[in-house]
Amino acid sequence: MSTTPAQRFLRDAAEKSADLVHRELIRRGMESYDAAHLAGRARIKDWEAARQKCQEIKREAINHLDRYLLQFEEKVTSRGGHVFWAANGEEACTYVRNLATRLSVRTVVKSKSMVTEEIHLSPALEKVGIKVWETDFGEYIVQLRDEPPYHIVTPAMHLNRGQIAKLFREKVDPGIDSDDPAYLMAAARRKLRQAFFAAEMGISGANFLVADAGVLAISTNEGNGRLCTSIPRIHVVVTGIEKVIPRLEDLAVLWPVLATSGTGQGITTYSTLIGGPRQPGEVDGPEEFHVVLVDNGRSQLLADAEQREVLHCIRCGACLNICPVFRHIGGHTYGTTYPGPIGSVLTPHLAGIKEFKHLSYASSLCGACSSVCPVKIDLHHHLLQNRRNATEAGATKSSERLMFRAWRSAMLHPRMYALGGWSMRKALRIIYGLGLAGSILDPMRVWNRHRSPVPLPSESFRARWRKSLGAN
Amino acid sequence: MTGSRTVSLFVPCFVDQLLPEVAVDTVKVLRRVGYEVEFPEGQTCCGQPAFNTGYWNEARPCAEHFVQVFKHADVVVCPSGSCATMVRIFYADLLAKSPLREDAIALASRTFELSEFLVKVAGVTQVGATFPHAVTYHASCHGLRELHLREEPLQLLRQVSGLKLIEMARSDECCGFGGTFAAKFADISASMGNSKAESIAATGAEFVTAIDPSCLLHLQGILGKRQSRVSTIHVAGILAQEKS
Amino acid sequence: MAQTENPSRDRILERIRAGLGTVVPEPAATRTERVIFEPINNPLERFQQECVANLMECSLTADCAASAQQLAKVLQSLPEGEAFLQDDPSLRRLVELAASRRTVRWSSEGAPSEGSQATVTLAEALIAQTGSILVSASCGGRGASVIAPCHIVYATVAQLVPDLATALSCMSQQRSLDRNSFACVISGSSRTADIEKILVQGAHGPRRLVVILQTGT
Repeated sequence: MSTTPAQRFLRDAAEKSADLVHRELIRRGMESYDAAHLAGRARIKDWEAARQKCQEIKREAINHLDRYLLQFEEKVTSRGGHVFWAANGEEACTYVRNLATRLSVRTVVKSKSMVTEEIHLSPALEKVGIKVWETDFGEYIVQLRDEPPYHIVTPAMHLNRGQIAKLFREKVDPGIDSDDPAYLMAAARRKLRQAFFAAEMGISGANFLVADAGVLAISTNEGNGRLCTSIPRIHVVVTGIEKVIPRLEDLAVLWPVLATSGTGQGITTYSTLIGGPRQPGEVDGPEEFHVVLVDNGRSQLLADAEQREVLHCIRCGACLNICPVFRHIGGHTYGTTYPGPIGSVLTPHLAGIKEFKHLSYASSLCGACSSVCPVKIDLHHHLLQNRRNATEAGATKSSERLMFRAWRSAMLHPRMYALGGWSMRKALRIIYGLGLAGSILDPMRVWNRHRSPVPLPSESFRARWRKSLGAN
Repeated sequence: MTGSRTVSLFVPCFVDQLLPEVAVDTVKVLRRVGYEVEFPEGQTCCGQPAFNTGYWNEARPCAEHFVQVFKHADVVVCPSGSCATMVRIFYADLLAKSPLREDAIALASRTFELSEFLVKVAGVTQVGATFPHAVTYHASCHGLRELHLREEPLQLLRQVSGLKLIEMARSDECCGFGGTFAAKFADISASMGNSKAESIAATGAEFVTAIDPSCLLHLQGILGKRQSRVSTIHVAGILAQEKS
Repeated sequence: MAQTENPSRDRILERIRAGLGTVVPEPAATRTERVIFEPINNPLERFQQECVANLMECSLTADCAASAQQLAKVLQSLPEGEAFLQDDPSLRRLVELAASRRTVRWSSEGAPSEGSQATVTLAEALIAQTGSILVSASCGGRGASVIAPCHIVYATVAQLVPDLATALSCMSQQRSLDRNSFACVISGSSRTADIEKILVQGAHGPRRLVVILQTGT
């Protein structure tokens, strides 16, 4: 018996909402992020001006997407690189798999790329016997646990050091005898170093595709992305088509803003620019360079006048960090590649509105996400639009449609509304008087599951007004 | 609108039915600072529940009814950040193709949340209130992020005689009500409410206040279930208190 | 790539152009250029402050002799093992003056080996705003700034630029990325905070980043 994504979501959300250990771990992680983020913003003189500038850069890029993609492609190919345009995940995986097979690749080292998660690239390669090593420390940890990343920036934030030490003892080295983070990192470094030097292919993502210089920009801290793109003889970049920016100089504001929003840093340790394979005269570097541009539903969003700006997302993770829903249910509950507010807005466009519209309702529309988005995407209003779109597409429950039609009738007739309100209060008073609060007869039983019953005044305001308050 | 001393009262439907004292206190405060109050009895609901759940076709006639009811008003005041937001921020979109679009936009420009009206229109922060208790303030989302009311409620509370205002950690974190969210995703809503209740408890305050009665209704329920000693009270409720 | 090898290319471009046919109302562009970053009045001071915050080591030296002495000191503090150096006359001179007993491999001989204990390179520029080193493929290759546990950069104060905007603008003007397939703005030692958001210095890249910053000739 299979469950729908919506059913799985409700079940997992209920479980996680009650998990106080999980909540505390996430709370501590987010508290640390909050402090770092504020400190990071203080380093920027005019944060609102920075957001404005980033929004303008991305708007220009997306509004001329074809021109900038072609400019990027031209420069990359002029340096001997290859650019492949993939309509969907399957085409992208096929291209990379064929390339790997043709070049006798047995081992791949991967640095973090959410797009490769989206298209399920690792399983596609493993299916043909290629060993794929996730080298980003957090990704490596969740790979060992055979689970998806919990968060787009900090993939293993749901685990404590004890759990990671135990995992390493089982899967990395039985001699692991400490849960000190530095010790565990050193163990991972030793293990992965062998992979870096043995791998024939390195796969990376890209934070930005710089059109005028024809380079990709990758922001990392660990150095694994650097090693993946320096040592193996083949470098493959898998990226969404929307990552384009017009000019190299745009990075002067995008780099600090991405780092500030993502981790609270002024800039990530390595801000790398790569434009092709090793050029004649260079000491080292890959002999082959391939950029896979993935569409997978993105070009469709361009036509959506209301939501085209969703393509401006720079995948910083700030909306996940601030979202109170995310903080209570965690990243895995969403069941999608992209969790949090951006995931809830984007997933119906990439993976279908009928299956994933429930995510747009799993929000109190508090607007915190929109207030922190460094490119000023109006996320919470897009959730509202998704709800409207779902209703217009007839994708809502008929019982709900009927209910709102009845509601509308009542609200258009003040006397009917007043009578309805009075009846409801009267009925509830009787039901509660009989001690039936929370029972099947209680229309407020969902409310009463977690809360004490609502007050039931004997008189509505309008009754009172009419009786005594009317005179000024 | 300039110089008019008559305010039309917009009472959210659930305040009318479940929290009438919020509206009663709003009337009290407005009269105390020198305004006459009229209550158009034809009003029912601004349409927010249907609108937020995606049922814009059902919300629209509701909104049109609202615009007709308040068409004559010089200024509209509402003791709810979310309901004032519905009119001010969302009516233009919802009624974009309606013959009442212009009326709606005009109405929006003269519709205010209570604290906003007192501080920015009436120009007062001292309303002669006394409330000698420890109070913590929850910054409701709509008022904060849609109407940009960060300071106004606090300015009013700071002028209340005897009131000890204690700041809570993450006062601007959502309480978890979210309208139909509370029914559709009850567990998450309650979880968020309980986190907020913990922040409230940590302040040691006797009361939690806000400009949104929906937040307070939700928190009242959450706090009640936890058998907390903290009570909820709307900002209007505090401002209406005089020296006994 | 030929049309037959990548049929989706044209289809995607077509879809993009069709999508962009939808007009999205845009707000009027802001005319006034707001200042986003605080202007930097004392680049050297700022660079040194940022180095401290980035957990980098920055030593000011007066001349070649002092720089060589500093290099010798750092090399001596490291475990046994080869040092990889960018093959440049200034580094050849520096190594000679340093008179270190360590085995040395030059970039002209090939890429750094897996067991290198240190790499020594020049930089394209230093950036005060973020306490960064800008390196390119010309600075001993890609691996030179990431393979060994210690990366040493030999630079002069004349190479210091105030901010990222200046550095990127220079790169554009000089078309550095037409001549180099790789460049990197390095702002500290490698690190991770993937376990409980606790900062660990030294992840896959160097644990130590040392800047020998020469003020004189």
